[in-house]
Amino acid sequence: MIIRPELQALRSDDTPQRHAQAELHRLVTQWRSSGGGAGIEQALASFARGTPLAKLQPLARLFVPGHSAGLKLAHDMVDRFAAVLAASPWGQVPLPGKLDDVTATIVLAAASNTALVLQATDGAALRRRPPALTVSFSPGETHDHVLAGNAEARLIELRGETEHGADLTATCFALRPGQVFRRDGARQSLLIDAAPTTLVTLKLQRRPATGSVTREFCLAEGTLAHQAAGNARESRFELAAALLGRMGRRDAAPLLGAMAEEQGGASLRWQALRECLGLDTAEGFAVLSRMAGRAGDPLAAPAAALQTQLLQCYPQLAGAASCPA
Amino acid sequence: MNLPKIDISALPDLGTVTGVFGSLAHTAHVQSSDDTIIIMMVFVYDFIIGH
Repeated sequence: MIIRPELQALRSDDTPQRHAQAELHRLVTQWRSSGGGAGIEQALASFARGTPLAKLQPLARLFVPGHSAGLKLAHDMVDRFAAVLAASPWGQVPLPGKLDDVTATIVLAAASNTALVLQATDGAALRRRPPALTVSFSPGETHDHVLAGNAEARLIELRGETEHGADLTATCFALRPGQVFRRDGARQSLLIDAAPTTLVTLKLQRRPATGSVTREFCLAEGTLAHQAAGNARESRFELAAALLGRMGRRDAAPLLGAMAEEQGGASLRWQALRECLGLDTAEGFAVLSRMAGRAGDPLAAPAAALQTQLLQCYPQLAGAASCPA
Repeated sequence: MNLPKIDISALPDLGTVTGVFGSLAHTAHVQSSDDTIIIMMVFVYDFIIGH
């Protein structure tokens, strides 16, 4: 194994590394408190609570077409980091980041279900990547501000759905510096097809707090390739419900029943109902019966079908539905 | 009342199954601008660093 001398030196004395980290942390703290990031996190928190972007000046001015504030913010941040990293290349920028062969992404600030993100797309690497087979739609609102570079892109729109799949339309357009556009993620997705150099965008994202589903469709046929919970909380609860079921925690049945009747994603509610039925038949069947009779509940129809199925298999449940649990 | 024990493996799933948060069918071909990646990044970072 080849270990570079700089790394070897850090093994015996990591002082330079610690100093670099301390300096990078100091830069972030300063940026947030009095630098370009001042007021951004507060505005993001307000944005997360539903305040319109136009009423949040620290954020809104970053997404005015042609306005220099977005570019200035990015320069301010990147220049500070670059100066420290030039002197201490082993330092790690203390912000969430992701690097793959095509994109470099850094989360400048985040609050609740919102995030302000700087993203660079390497055009040369993009040319080597195979064309996209699918497109995914993640519910939420995204604002994109092109800060630098040009690109050819497609806006894929989900116009509607039939039993055969999605009706997808593609609109080709050119991305140019200074452009700002807003997308509704549930029905609009942006695909970058080509960029001659590097495309840099500033993104603001606000996603729904609960109940959303991310869906991925085949671009060619429009068929649904996959769907996934749109937020981690619902998946976490779904896993917890499954675990309680496998543990035979009958005492958790009322909690699972309540989860099944709450507002939230259909998948989480349905899995909570199944586990509740498995743990406590009377409790589960009472929840199922209420759900089946609730007008406007998207799960009313499958609940009614399951209620009928269970009553056919176990006629004695007809009495349980009318009995208090 | 003597009620039957229900086997949940016999209970139907919804018509379309929903995968866990962050799962994708074609991860290798996800476009660079995909919004899902950013949603995941914010969560993963909070999970690793914040707890």
